[in-house]
Amino acid sequence: MERALPLVVPLGQAEVFQALQRLHMTIFSQSVSPCGKFLAAGNNYGQIAIFSLSAALSSEAKEESKKPVVTFQAHDGPVYSMVSTDRHLLSAGDGEVKAWLWAEMLKKGCKELWCRQPPYRTSLEVPEINALLLVPKENSLILAGGDCQLHTMDLETGTFTRVLRGHTDYIHCLALRERSPEVLSGGEDGAVRLWDLRTAKEVQTIEVYKHEECSRPHNGRWIGCLATDSDWMVCGGGPALTLWHLRSSTPTTVFPMRAPQKHVTFYQDLILSAGQGRCVNQWQLSGELKAQVPGSSPGLLSLSLNQQPAAPECKVLTAAGNSCRVDVFTNLGYRAFSLSF
Amino acid sequence: MSSESSKKRKPKVIRSDGAPAEGKRNRSDTEQEGKYYSEEAEVDLRDPGRDYELYKYTCQELQRLMAEIQDLKSRGGKDVAIEIEERRIQSCVHFMTLKKLNRLAHIRLKKGRDQTHEAKQKVDAYHLQLQNLLYEVMHLQKEITKCLEFKSKHEEIDLVSLEEFYKEAPPDISKAEVTMGDPHQQTLARLDWELEQRKRLAEKYRECLSNKEKILKEIEVKKEYLSSLQPRLNSIMQASLPVQEYLFMPFDQAHKQYETARHLPPPLYVLFVQATAYGQACDKTLSVAIEGSVDEAKALFKPPEDSQDDESDSDAEEEQTTKRRRPTLGVQLDDKRKEMLKRHPLSVMLDLKCKDDSVLHLTFFYLMNLNIMTVKAKVTTATELITPISAGDLLSPDSVLSCLYPGDHGKKTPNPANQYQFDKVGILTLSDYVLELGHPYLWVQKLGGLHFPKEQPQQTVIADHSLSASHMETTMKLLKTRVQSRLALHKQFASLEHGIVPVTSDCQYLFPAKVVSRLVKWVTVAHEDYMELHFTKDIVDAGLAGDTNLYYMALIERGTAKLQAAVVLNPGYSSIPPIFQLCLNWKGEKTNSNDDNIRAMESEVNVCYKELCGPWPSHQLLTNQLQRLCVLLDVYLETESHDDSVEGPKEFPQEKMCLRLFRGPSRMKPFKYNHPQGFFSHR
Repeated sequence: MERALPLVVPLGQAEVFQALQRLHMTIFSQSVSPCGKFLAAGNNYGQIAIFSLSAALSSEAKEESKKPVVTFQAHDGPVYSMVSTDRHLLSAGDGEVKAWLWAEMLKKGCKELWCRQPPYRTSLEVPEINALLLVPKENSLILAGGDCQLHTMDLETGTFTRVLRGHTDYIHCLALRERSPEVLSGGEDGAVRLWDLRTAKEVQTIEVYKHEECSRPHNGRWIGCLATDSDWMVCGGGPALTLWHLRSSTPTTVFPMRAPQKHVTFYQDLILSAGQGRCVNQWQLSGELKAQVPGSSPGLLSLSLNQQPAAPECKVLTAAGNSCRVDVFTNLGYRAFSLSF
Repeated sequence: MSSESSKKRKPKVIRSDGAPAEGKRNRSDTEQEGKYYSEEAEVDLRDPGRDYELYKYTCQELQRLMAEIQDLKSRGGKDVAIEIEERRIQSCVHFMTLKKLNRLAHIRLKKGRDQTHEAKQKVDAYHLQLQNLLYEVMHLQKEITKCLEFKSKHEEIDLVSLEEFYKEAPPDISKAEVTMGDPHQQTLARLDWELEQRKRLAEKYRECLSNKEKILKEIEVKKEYLSSLQPRLNSIMQASLPVQEYLFMPFDQAHKQYETARHLPPPLYVLFVQATAYGQACDKTLSVAIEGSVDEAKALFKPPEDSQDDESDSDAEEEQTTKRRRPTLGVQLDDKRKEMLKRHPLSVMLDLKCKDDSVLHLTFFYLMNLNIMTVKAKVTTATELITPISAGDLLSPDSVLSCLYPGDHGKKTPNPANQYQFDKVGILTLSDYVLELGHPYLWVQKLGGLHFPKEQPQQTVIADHSLSASHMETTMKLLKTRVQSRLALHKQFASLEHGIVPVTSDCQYLFPAKVVSRLVKWVTVAHEDYMELHFTKDIVDAGLAGDTNLYYMALIERGTAKLQAAVVLNPGYSSIPPIFQLCLNWKGEKTNSNDDNIRAMESEVNVCYKELCGPWPSHQLLTNQLQRLCVLLDVYLETESHDDSVEGPKEFPQEKMCLRLFRGPSRMKPFKYNHPQGFFSHR
């Protein structure tokens, strides 16, 4: 098999190091700006890069448009999770959550607006924050991660209002059930727990690994991803990707995907999931695989749908994971191009 | 009445009628003289108009008379003859009147003519005078113009300006009172002064000439003196040789070397000078020597006629004797190639001695026709080295100096002009000949002061001392580091091949006390084989796996788990870290594309290599990386979550102290070792 040999550039120490860093980069989280034109991506070195989606999608896009507009060191550890409010970008990684102004971030040397750390029990090791969730009705932020608890922080005052305990191992993911309002959390202990925000109590527990249809012991019992659509919930991870009916706590559809999934989301009448393996999978609610679209990273960790009403021309799906690239899908059928750190 | 012919009269007098002849001329002359005069005076008195009237009357009378005569003649008769006679007498009188009138007319005419003639003569005389005068005037005017235009030679001389003149000239020449008013005198005075000055200067010139002669003579004398000094100094030098040897100061040796150095080609000379200087100033372990035949070097500059004669002779001979064996085209081309790649007979040898008594021998050659320098390297150690199989290429002369500076692989000629020369003789690339000629690294050219700029190819590249000096120190240091790191690797490879990862005591803190995974294999792999491995694609695509690198495969085992590590060793080790790509065979094949933890393990050794460098000069990097891999494999296997569905205990019980087993969305294992507490945590 003839493989075209890439051009070997004489590399000094600095270039080799940079190349190695890029090879071993993982992008954990993404977030779209409130205006819809920019995408923030956080990686395992603690850097956040802001890409201009509108520039990269425009017809005069050049190679430079696929590079970040600005990159800065946000955290000391990896940036595991990011969300955007209508003015701020909130990023969290190793134990702290920081806020940045979207309007300020495009300038170089921007500093965080504030930085908060939830009250942790242990002091030996600072637990990571794996998931952030915005509750618009309360104007609060829910953080969950390594200390097995959900913390709620009021965005206006910055105080931590409540702590929800119940998980026995660290929490991977959160989802919001708008109507109730309830928060779902999935963790390493294999359980999906529902919490009522008004009473601050656990109202329902689903131990996914105990259900035979979906459990896969050789992968473990951890729940890596959650998504909910009021009555329905889809979760995956160690066990297979399954669609649940929440009120009855029964699994209705098991999606036949061997690789553990790390991110799942509802989109129109489809379920999009991604995880180990190159592809973004599109499932019908019946359980059939509609399409598998390959990306450029060997494994994907996060998907982001840009549905901001202010920028309909930037309505794309972006996927990122075990590489320094963010794949952009303008049409769910194929990968259009990739942005890269 | 009779014909008058005066001497003065012109013979144009024409008479109208026949008259008695000249018999009475003489008498009439004197008579006439008296009459003439009176007739002439009479002319003045008579009025020409009346005479004209008279003439007309007379003619009329004549006509009448003739007519009467005619009548009478026709009538005939006796008294006619008397009448006719009467009338004939009257006619004669009238004829006489007519004659007189004619005479008078003639006299008048003559007078008029005479007068005219006189006047004309006068006018002519005046005219002539006028002409003469005009001519003279013109002549004078010309003379005046000439005089006015006359430039005296004195105006061509540049005289000193007036102020200066008055300042400098002595008063007896300048005579200010006289000259101020009178420009003529002033000019004369100035000319005088000019003359004076010139005389003085001429004097000075003569003096200087004589001085010069004197000095030249003195120089001659001194030169002779000096030339007689040289042989005396030589004899002193000879005499001092035994003293030099006694005191261990080999000046003579150095002197001889400098003598030989004079025959070096310019780049080698620059290298020699700079290296000697550097050695003396900064680095006592560097020694420089010149090798080769000086006679051959001198022979290069012999006048070509002799050799040409010889050649033509020998050619002729050859042709005669071996007409059939004309050298083939290939042999001719071969000869041409050999000629093109010819080396200068002299070479410079540098010996770099390192701390552990190993020596790097560098021999620098100069290729004359290509204007580049090449180097051959050899490493000798104090003790005999037993070369482990995998260390074959480490110290080989061909590759030990490869990529001293990034990208300087020494396989291509650095002089762009050489390409055209190569095309003429059919050489494709210099890399075919580097084994015998040496490598034309870029740093070698720089040490010889040769610079081949890519943007503006120069016609002739000359050796530049400053270029060599600016690169000398860095290059020597790099060379030493290179030799030492290679020797260190050499030793380490010997140990690695026996399955022992040699970790020095000052690096022990990086690892826990107990490491169970063992290195079982360490071999070299070829570049092509590395490229074909399925788990090395990322490195190849990133352009980090060129053909100047060395490739190895390590195998680490623990129980049933086998970890393959493909290693890319950059020639710039250890400033450029080795790059590892892993493939774990345990419960399936796991590589960085399907297992995040394998990716994390690679990151631990590739990206976080700076912690593993150890004390400078970080020769321990590779062994520390290998040891870390063993530790990482231990952690990976021990922290693997137990599969409840499978019967039996875990193959690898957890012995490592870890705070948490999994962290983050990718569920990373705790790969970071904390010293001295001894537990594992996440980055």
